[in-house]
Amino acid sequence: MFSLSYAWNELHRRLGRTLVTAIGLAAGVGLVMGIIGVSQGLSDAQTKALSPLGSVGTDIIVTRTVAPTLSTATTTTTTFGGFGGGNGAGGGFAAGGGGGFFRGGGSFALNAKDASALDAANSSVITDLAKLGPAGTKFTHDFFVPGTLITFPSQAVKDVAKVKGVTSAVGALSLDALHESGTVPKITASVKTGGQTISATVKPPVLTAAQQATERTCIEAIINKQLGTTTTTIAGSGSGSGGFGGGGGFGGGGRFRFGAGATSAFAKCLTPAQKAYQQDVVIPEQTVNEVLNPPTTNTKTSTYTVGGVNPANPTSGLVTKSQLVKGTWLSSNPATAATQVLVTTAYASQVGLKLDQTLTINSVSYKIVGLVNPTLTGDVSDVYFSLANLQTLSTNQNRVNEVLVSVANAKDVNSVAKAIKKELPGATVLTSKSLADQVTGSLANARKLANDLGGALAVVVLLAAFLIAGLLTLSSVSKRVREIGSLRAIGWSRGRVVRQIMAETLGIGVLGGVVGIAIGVVICLIIGAVGPALNVSSTGLAVGASTVSNLVHQTTSATVATTVHLTAPIRGLTIVIAYVCGLLGGVIAGAAGGWRAARLSPASALRDLG
Amino acid sequence: MTEASTVDSVGTAPGSALYELRAVTRTFAKGSVAVNALRGIDLDIARGEMLVLEGPSGSGKSTLLQLLGALDTPTSGQIRFAGRSLENESDQVLTDIRSKEIGFVFQQFNLIPTLSADDNVAIAMVPRESSREKRVARAQELLTQVGLEHRFGHLPSRLSGGEQQRVAIARALANRPEVIIADEPTGNLDSDNAKEFMALLHDLHQRSGVTIIIATHDEDIASTTQRRVRLRDGAILSDTKN
Repeated sequence: MFSLSYAWNELHRRLGRTLVTAIGLAAGVGLVMGIIGVSQGLSDAQTKALSPLGSVGTDIIVTRTVAPTLSTATTTTTTFGGFGGGNGAGGGFAAGGGGGFFRGGGSFALNAKDASALDAANSSVITDLAKLGPAGTKFTHDFFVPGTLITFPSQAVKDVAKVKGVTSAVGALSLDALHESGTVPKITASVKTGGQTISATVKPPVLTAAQQATERTCIEAIINKQLGTTTTTIAGSGSGSGGFGGGGGFGGGGRFRFGAGATSAFAKCLTPAQKAYQQDVVIPEQTVNEVLNPPTTNTKTSTYTVGGVNPANPTSGLVTKSQLVKGTWLSSNPATAATQVLVTTAYASQVGLKLDQTLTINSVSYKIVGLVNPTLTGDVSDVYFSLANLQTLSTNQNRVNEVLVSVANAKDVNSVAKAIKKELPGATVLTSKSLADQVTGSLANARKLANDLGGALAVVVLLAAFLIAGLLTLSSVSKRVREIGSLRAIGWSRGRVVRQIMAETLGIGVLGGVVGIAIGVVICLIIGAVGPALNVSSTGLAVGASTVSNLVHQTTSATVATTVHLTAPIRGLTIVIAYVCGLLGGVIAGAAGGWRAARLSPASALRDLG
Repeated sequence: MTEASTVDSVGTAPGSALYELRAVTRTFAKGSVAVNALRGIDLDIARGEMLVLEGPSGSGKSTLLQLLGALDTPTSGQIRFAGRSLENESDQVLTDIRSKEIGFVFQQFNLIPTLSADDNVAIAMVPRESSREKRVARAQELLTQVGLEHRFGHLPSRLSGGEQQRVAIARALANRPEVIIADEPTGNLDSDNAKEFMALLHDLHQRSGVTIIIATHDEDIASTTQRRVRLRDGAILSDTKN
């Protein structure tokens, strides 16, 4: 067919020409690989951004709707996320939640329990700083705020799991955390009251004749009862002081004594005015004015977000094991997991945390066992605890605020979402699609633009490389007129000459392809290493801003703005495409050279002699 | 193996007609002007002849050589080569004839600069012999015949002009041709090498009986051959035998 050794010798002995042509092709192939890589990198990043749920192994997110059926709920809702209104808010949610989050459990008793749980969770936040120690004590404390995504009993997770079509339902807790440090301010004052002796002169009112008579009758009755007679009368009724004192009448007669019972019995005979006499003593009002120093506010507050994930469920949750960048996943042993946390790479670099470092939260040390890089725009927390641990920390025992649902069949997502809504009336059910639908605008256009521009650039670069290779081959064939003429003269057919040229340029194509792939790999690695930062801010992304993030982290989710480092992944297909491009360049160059060679007359071997 | 068997004598009887040219013309278009390079050539060449085509530049000697070498076809007239007409044959058939029956030796040697001496000989056998080993083996035999047994692996650039032309002869013999056509073969050789080369050709002719046609304007060479055909202005001026 053609002479391999001839082709090899041509390439080998004319190394300069071979290399120039091959490097021209290689540059084209390498650039194409780089462009494809960048395009795929962009595509990957954007795909991630477009499907925040998919990246956490989730098709549907169930959250608890704040569905104010009562006006009180409406008003308290807004204050719930912050400090201060906690107690009231708790009550408010009880009413709101009473709208029917729990099917069948619509009885008020359950909601009262629910309300007290919400209340407890919020009470933990409104901690009197004084409880942290005497004034002047330095303190560091982390408060866990439920944020705007309110919690509900974990039972809901089981309810969702029962819905047909659901393969897994995982509860998650996503909270805002306030890290406060400072000095306990002097905000209490002791005021002692009581202990004074009050004296007052009281003149009881003079009894009317009728009152005296009644009183006397009453007393006589008591005395007669004591003595066993019925005729005893008390003579005289002048002043009370004289009446009994000189009682000769009794003295001579025998003796009788008023018993203890009689004394109290007499009290009954007093007129209402005499009875009220003791109560009318009024202690003069006293106003105590004490000036207190206003509480010193050197307290520093920083916010971060925390998430609770189930260590036993590494494939679905707020963060998944596949998003682990470094280190290990939370231990499956609950006791060990309770002292472990995962930290996002972004937060770790922001605050200078490292793997295996210890993070102290409310006097408990947590070991950072893993660094994770969760989804770009979804529900991102900074620190992930084991769910059980976070529930305890934040006084949310057996409560979650998100259920992450995986569905068996992607096409069933909508029907499953409907079924969940039916099962949990009032729940907000978000699907990937409902989120992705909101980002079709600028982001989708950007991606399309990148692909189109990248594609056009790749085509231009390749065409240029092909043109260069073709021209170089053409020129080299033109320089070999006598050689090719001689081959034709000694009996090489036109086809054989063309095949020979083609074999040579294909060899160049193979070399160009291989070198080009090497160049492309280097380009992709450099892009990956330099990692040009692409800012994906959630305010620009409807996903983060309008739905999940906003619901979850009203205060801190502004930082969900993510920096994506552009990578240029090298896929098998890219390498195949690059290689084919190299070969194609060889074929095109060969076609150009072959066309030129075929037009050479065998007589040119002689004619060239001039 | 004897030298004679290696160089191969021509199978057909010497003296039978190899070429028969009748009223052959060849016209080239140079711009708008038609140049009549050959104007009615009648020429017979018998098998086993060794003849010289003489004539100054522009006499039509190279054009005639191209027609004899099946590199070109006449504008009019007939060329019969080994019993078959060449004038209307396709490029493919002419290529086949060249490959099988005609060996060329060029003034500039026309060796392939990137190939060693033995590969340069072997390359001529590529269309006819698929085994590279056999090609190289025969190439080395032929090189040995022309006295280059110590130069097999050498590139043309490392061979002298005389050596290069000997490689060219070996290449011309590679496919056991009926005829060897040499176009000014000594034009790039000094007189010593030219003499050596002609001696080699004569030796070859005597041993194998291959027909040899040489185009030259070198009187020394022309005087050594049996037959001299002189050309001028595209026509045969004289056809003499020594």
